[in-house]
Amino acid sequence: MMAMESPLVEAEMVEAMEFPDLADRFNVSGVPQTTINQGAGTVVGATPEDYLLNEIKRAMG
Amino acid sequence: MASLLNESIRTQVRDVFENQLKQPVGVILFEGKENCETCADTRQLLEEVSGLSDKISLEVYDLEEKADVANQYHVDKVPGIVFVGKDGDQVIDYGVRMAGIPSGHEFSTLIHDLILVSGRDSGLEQKTRDELKTLTKPVHLQVFVTPT
Repeated sequence: MMAMESPLVEAEMVEAMEFPDLADRFNVSGVPQTTINQGAGTVVGATPEDYLLNEIKRAMG
Repeated sequence: MASLLNESIRTQVRDVFENQLKQPVGVILFEGKENCETCADTRQLLEEVSGLSDKISLEVYDLEEKADVANQYHVDKVPGIVFVGKDGDQVIDYGVRMAGIPSGHEFSTLIHDLILVSGRDSGLEQKTRDELKTLTKPVHLQVFVTPT
């Protein structure tokens, strides 16, 4: 839902079993897994807002 | 074709929509003729769900035939689903997408997304909202899930 708060954020929920190549590419082993900017950052498991936000900032460099 | 949603689920969802949907919301589905095992079911599911409220409108496009529309929404997978706010003729794209059929556990995510986009409210903490507004570069999040 972060996408709603910024025009710069786009969020896609991907059904891993239907897109196994993509899941493989980002080494999805457990769900949910959040990939930031094509692998610049990754968060495995359900994540609190502030943690995900920090990971986004770190991935942006 | 038999319904995907039984009467009890339909009644429940219709109630939730009646109480929680606020502004009109649009669902845009991109489907493909080939290599898409779940496209037909996804379309039927979205038709059934959007039929449960006057506030939901559904548009369906073929990803290849309408590549320009798909590109506009950055959709490159089928089935690909976009949730938008509708304000008359105006479409408000919040960047909320799904790839794959929203069944099983993801059915509740589908309903939840519709409610949030309809309410124009992310439900996030104020601090998170403020920080998101300070972003200067595009962020693309992909959340991998499984239906069970």
